[in-house]
Amino acid sequence: MSKLTHKDADTQLLVMGNEAIVRGALEAGVHVAAGYPGTPSSEIIERLSECAKERNLYVEWSTNEKVASEVAASGSFAGLRSLCTMKQNGVNVASDFLIHLAISGTRAGYVAVVCDDPGALSSVNEAETAYLAKQIELPLIEPGDFQEAKDMTRWAFELSEEIKLPVMMRSVTRLSHASGNIVTGALPADTHNRAEFKCDNPNFLDPESGAVISAALNLTHPVLQGKMKQTQSLFEECPFNTYSGPERPELLMITRSSAYLYCKEALNELALEERVGLLKIGTTWPLPQKLVRRHLKTTDKVLIVEEVMPFLEENVKVLAAEMAADVGVKTFYGKNDGSIPSCGELNPDFVIGALVRILAIEDYIPMTPDYQQKSLMAAFINSPPRDMTFCPGCPHRASFFCLHNALTLDNRKGFVCGDIGCYAMAVQSCGFETAKTLHAMGSGAGVASGFGKLDQFGLDQPVIAVCGDSTFFHAVLPALVNAAHHRSNMTLVVLDNGGTAMTGFQPHPGLTFDLMHDSAPKVDIARVSEAIGATVRISDPFDIAGTQAVLDELINNPGLKVLILRQMCALSPEKKNRKKFSLRVDASLCKGDSCGCNRLCTRIWSCPGLVWDTENRRARIDEVLCSGCGVCADICPQGAIIREEA
Amino acid sequence: MDELKINMGQQGLKETVLGTGLCTGCGACVNLCPYQKAFKDHTIMLFPCDIAEGRCYAYCPRTPTDLAQLRSNAFDPEDLTPEIGAIKAFYITRASDSELRARAQHGGTVSALMRLALEEGIIDEALLSQGTPNLLPAGRSCGNSEAVAGLAGSKMVVSPTVAEFNRAARGSSQRIGLVATPCQALALAKMRSRPLENDAICIDKLTLVIGLFCGWAFDWREIRALIASKVSLTDVTGMDIPPSKYHSLEVYTRDGATLSIDLDEVVPCVRPACHYCFDMTAEFSDLAVGSARLGEGWEVARGWNQVIARTQLGVELMERARKTGVLEFHAVPEGNLERLKRASLGKKQTALENLRKLSGKADDLVYLDPRDPVFKTLMD
Repeated sequence: MSKLTHKDADTQLLVMGNEAIVRGALEAGVHVAAGYPGTPSSEIIERLSECAKERNLYVEWSTNEKVASEVAASGSFAGLRSLCTMKQNGVNVASDFLIHLAISGTRAGYVAVVCDDPGALSSVNEAETAYLAKQIELPLIEPGDFQEAKDMTRWAFELSEEIKLPVMMRSVTRLSHASGNIVTGALPADTHNRAEFKCDNPNFLDPESGAVISAALNLTHPVLQGKMKQTQSLFEECPFNTYSGPERPELLMITRSSAYLYCKEALNELALEERVGLLKIGTTWPLPQKLVRRHLKTTDKVLIVEEVMPFLEENVKVLAAEMAADVGVKTFYGKNDGSIPSCGELNPDFVIGALVRILAIEDYIPMTPDYQQKSLMAAFINSPPRDMTFCPGCPHRASFFCLHNALTLDNRKGFVCGDIGCYAMAVQSCGFETAKTLHAMGSGAGVASGFGKLDQFGLDQPVIAVCGDSTFFHAVLPALVNAAHHRSNMTLVVLDNGGTAMTGFQPHPGLTFDLMHDSAPKVDIARVSEAIGATVRISDPFDIAGTQAVLDELINNPGLKVLILRQMCALSPEKKNRKKFSLRVDASLCKGDSCGCNRLCTRIWSCPGLVWDTENRRARIDEVLCSGCGVCADICPQGAIIREEA
Repeated sequence: MDELKINMGQQGLKETVLGTGLCTGCGACVNLCPYQKAFKDHTIMLFPCDIAEGRCYAYCPRTPTDLAQLRSNAFDPEDLTPEIGAIKAFYITRASDSELRARAQHGGTVSALMRLALEEGIIDEALLSQGTPNLLPAGRSCGNSEAVAGLAGSKMVVSPTVAEFNRAARGSSQRIGLVATPCQALALAKMRSRPLENDAICIDKLTLVIGLFCGWAFDWREIRALIASKVSLTDVTGMDIPPSKYHSLEVYTRDGATLSIDLDEVVPCVRPACHYCFDMTAEFSDLAVGSARLGEGWEVARGWNQVIARTQLGVELMERARKTGVLEFHAVPEGNLERLKRASLGKKQTALENLRKLSGKADDLVYLDPRDPVFKTLMD
């Protein structure tokens, strides 16, 4: 049983931020939850699935975020509280639906949880969701700590039902993935709500029983804007907007999300609690104007602390300009004047630095120069350079080795259009720098579809796109259909490692089971590709020679080709801790430095399980790291790596 | 100031040979390491190698070479001629086996000699070039004389046979014979001079080099595209360049017809590196074989070969061929050798001119030494 279904209220639980969100949703009586995996959001759907039987939920991993937001909407339309989850990139995918959902409105509580990734710790970008909420015209709320993550989730459902709109809740990596204490609320006793979609009222403007449509904008858009006005006035008294500090602070800090914690720590470190005020905004959009006015009146200096984009800063400044006659002219500090970094993650040190400068604090020494020097030495000079790399036994290393070799041998400057997943690292040396474009999920195939038509202008380079098996369903299908219909000359390589591996092996439609571990019809990538009209081949990337030969055949033929490189991820539950082969380097065969191989194994192939023994000047298997895939035995030109059945 | 050191490994090879269009595709740098590959008529560097001094650079026929030293290693000084290298004897021959002749480009002398060398135990493995339906030849190893006949016929595209030697030399064979183009014969001669340590075990297996006369070879992608535009590639059975007065490339097809393509159309398909080659007669071989020129005219001459024996081994093999009756001998017409020398000199002059253009300097012959006695006279 999950600890998140603990039946008692007022119980302390130590949970991850994402688990706090789950508890909040359970306390709110959520019934339908859908999402697409993406760090740092993935645990929400996973934990909900663990509670599904006990709490009578329907939970699924959808093919993409747009579908997830649509699946959740069906629940809301049918009277069930519903949740969808995604990471920041996913909001863009879902936004096409959400912008219509804002207009059509919702019925039972609908909460879209978006987990942003400031600093792009597990992402290719650090896009800021707040602007999208403003653009779509949806309320955006942001918890500042773990308790709020739970409480605001629960409240978000009530708010959604009150204003008949989806509510967007933004978390960030440091909140979703850190752990803290929460005090539980009660879980609803009865979980057996009945679903019914009431839609027989001919008046589609009737929020309870009309058709749910986003058309007739001249009628529906004013309704939406009225709801947002209503939301703004509800936010004025919202308990998730908090203030601490003196009545007339020397400096007012305004913050949101996890930056709240950095601000608190900075104020504590500098002992400024009696001098500086801290206004934490939980209701980021629409911004409660009266609340802002009240606080602006108390001081002349305002420091706005937030991560990534200056959303709060810009919106507070607009209000300040409007209210100038009433509240007086303010001096603003934040991203625009450089007090706070304009991108990347924040931390308490950044906030301390800003406070020290603004308040001209002279006696604060963060660390002694000697310590600073020593830590720099330790971090940058004494530690060996380490690139990001694929795991030991990762099929992607072999796949990109084959791709690199096939394209290099072909000698026509062929290239790979990369995609999002672990294999995004194919732009780096671990992927032999094979990928030359990298954008959104599915973009490799789309960009390649275009490249494949540029022969009209003399482009004669072989064009390859890569995608993962989960990405194939998420966003590649439209690009593949496009390429087929327009006779684009391209090869799509599907790196099929048997799951949504990067985010933790969530199932996808290409597998025979679903999130609930129930058997599910498999949508076969090869058959789908064939039906679209592609020439399809399947190969094992661990068969280096065979895979290179197939690639050579495909890139020398016109039209749309799909190569499925099938090999399970080394960290998959099926493979983890199970070595297929035991490997060792025969020291009498490895010629070390005197071999003409110039350390192909450890310099180029560079599997972490294979190391250069600096003492013996020979290669060596690191038995702890080696996953036993055995491919390196085929890489060594001397045959010095001995592969035996484990 | 330190003198700028030229890298004598893969990086040097990349800068001075592959990057300048000098690579002949001979295969000398291939199969020595995991990095250089011969693929579809190109020498490909798969990954960078940072070894400062490598066999790839040392063996390459287009890195700077002391040719005078190589000549004195391999030949009797009194046999040397500036135009066509060492000559001990000169013959007009053809294979006695008419079946072999029918398969061969001209007189079938090369296949007959390789077969004989295997049968007589002079060599225990023969490396030749094998044609494929898409015109791309491959290096092929033969351990017995029957297999040799199947590989007869000119391929017109360079086959990386030296790469095949690099592979075979690590195997069990002890005496290896090769059929080599002039660039390949030069690479093998460089190997024999053992420029680097630890090479001897493999290189000492190199026993017999039968060189082929060569004007130039085609770039595979180019010639394939040209021929495919005129005839189905699967129907092509062979190709030949008849004497210059015909000014054409002949393409023989399955139905017995001959397609003649004007040389002006063909010349752009020549591998660029061939324009920098000084050697028409495979000067660094034991025996060098080409098509014959006879008073009876081309239709008769095309059934014969002319052969230069350059080394003692070459002469001995020819004598055994005479004794065993493997070859038929034709009297050498008056003036044949002189005509060959003139043609060879012409190629040398063209090469020097092109190399001067490439370097942009009158006294810089890129990979050739302007002080070499052969080139010195030509440059004056």
